[in-house]
Amino acid sequence: MPLATPLAVEFDNVTRHFGPAGAPVRAVDGVSVGITEGCFFAMLGPSGSGKTTCLRLISGFERPTSGHIRIFGQNSEAIPPNRRPVNTVFQDYALFPHLTVRDNVAYGPRMAGVDRRTRHAAAEEMLALVKLSGYGDRKPAALSGGQRQRVALARALVNRPRVLLLDEPLGALDLKLREAMQEELKSLQQSLGITFVFVTHDQGEALSMADRVAVFNDGKIVQEGTPQDIYERPRTRFVADFVGSANVLSPELSARAGGPARWTSLRGEAVALTAPGAGRITGTVRSLRYMGAVTRVTVATPGGDLTATVPAALPLPAQGATVGLHWPADALHEMEGGA
Amino acid sequence: MRSDRAPLGLRIAAFAGLAFLHLPILLIFVYAFTTEDKSYQWPPPGFTTHWLGVTWNRPDVWEALSLSLRVAAISTCIALILGTLAAAAVSRAAFWGREAVTLLVILPIALPGIITGIALRSAFNLGEIPFSTLTIVLGHATFCIVVVYNNTVARFRRISGSMLEASADLGANGFQTFAHVVLPNIATALLAGGMLAFALSFDEVIVTTFTAGQQATLPIWMLEELVRPRQRPVTNVVAMVVVIVTALPILAAYYLTRGGTDTAGSGK
Repeated sequence: MPLATPLAVEFDNVTRHFGPAGAPVRAVDGVSVGITEGCFFAMLGPSGSGKTTCLRLISGFERPTSGHIRIFGQNSEAIPPNRRPVNTVFQDYALFPHLTVRDNVAYGPRMAGVDRRTRHAAAEEMLALVKLSGYGDRKPAALSGGQRQRVALARALVNRPRVLLLDEPLGALDLKLREAMQEELKSLQQSLGITFVFVTHDQGEALSMADRVAVFNDGKIVQEGTPQDIYERPRTRFVADFVGSANVLSPELSARAGGPARWTSLRGEAVALTAPGAGRITGTVRSLRYMGAVTRVTVATPGGDLTATVPAALPLPAQGATVGLHWPADALHEMEGGA
Repeated sequence: MRSDRAPLGLRIAAFAGLAFLHLPILLIFVYAFTTEDKSYQWPPPGFTTHWLGVTWNRPDVWEALSLSLRVAAISTCIALILGTLAAAAVSRAAFWGREAVTLLVILPIALPGIITGIALRSAFNLGEIPFSTLTIVLGHATFCIVVVYNNTVARFRRISGSMLEASADLGANGFQTFAHVVLPNIATALLAGGMLAFALSFDEVIVTTFTAGQQATLPIWMLEELVRPRQRPVTNVVAMVVVIVTALPILAAYYLTRGGTDTAGSGK
């Protein structure tokens, strides 16, 4: 973590337990992480991994069982949600159905005592920013999912938060809309320069949008780093599996292929198909998955399945054929842990 | 193509059923204008508006009407506050014994009124509380609370938790969230529940007979009048007023809640 840039949010050994004290469910278990100001930070993990609880700890809807959360250096435990310099885009958007789009966006300023004309002007400005000018008089029920999402975004941003929290905001959108919103969110974050903390279970979304990614599992952060770190150098088997980009080689398989006798990861793009016996290991083609630009060829080897990502220009083997697999020596990446 | 008209026989049966339910009410209206005041003679020998004036000048009618209105108004206010609080607690919070509370809140309307009446009367006697307007109000509040509770609890369930969190997230404190998010979303349910509670209280007889002292609410006064064969049409004039006073709020409540099914969702 570069210490020169100030930290927007800092988790200091934070734990959050639910349920009875005797048999607590550790939703968040000893999380320590710093989120630098102006950063697009993704919390990535499967459901139940603690990422949403971490977001709610920042917004103040959950209190840590132990540990501290500092927001811009200030201990946040005593600050209620309505006084924190953060705003949230909720997963279900949580728009107020009885208010118009304009009044939804102007809700924050209204609570702050801003007069009607000023807050309506601010709301219109924000609606223009999310490309919803002219929708101010509608009710949320009259909007599409993507439009509601933009209203939720405008409603949070109008308060000029120093940190914007987004709880799986794109989960309910269809693929095309989701990709468009990913780009818009990214450029919005860059132009506004505020810190975004983004919760998602979609590794593609996290890797393509974020400056830094924290991978969650069982209430702990298993790896935190740039998308490149996570993708190319997964620290554990869980990260390699979850990010889904790499083959995971057992110590036996790794040793058999001339690598270290450790758990290692191997990206599919680094694997090339060769004649049987010419590569590091030989196996039979189990399946071919056509993905457009590439085809994923899964090869059954004596030590386990390996997947090679073959570019469309190269010839493909037939299913059941015997092939060799080769990769550069430095493509094998050692991971932590024996199990 | 399918016809959306019901068969003739079914339509006749439906009209007959509705007539059976509602013609006797018309009969009351007719007898309010009869010239015969000792017995209910059919057909009425003549029509007159004489009894409207007689009723107007009877002080006991005004006393009973005023008592009924006061009791209904106070019971409804108590029910609005307690019923809404109970509905909020049951729908929004998880606590030990919530299921039991849900059942206990609804119980007074499921119990026969006579049981509620006897129970309250014994309790008031034990507590040495003199029978007064207060005891009538307490008796009515038991079932008025249920009406308000039932109306608002469904609405509360439709307010998503994240909506309240969104309000807090945008800087609102608890009172602001209640005023700007909760109240607008339960307002029509409160109005409907309040009107139903008012109407129920206004024509309640059974619980009132046990919890009233010397005072008579309008329905009790009417029962007493029916026994006495004197100025009988006065009772009919009053009955006509009661029908109108209770029917209007119930109709209004029906129209207000009819369109309420698509409010306050989570917006998906």
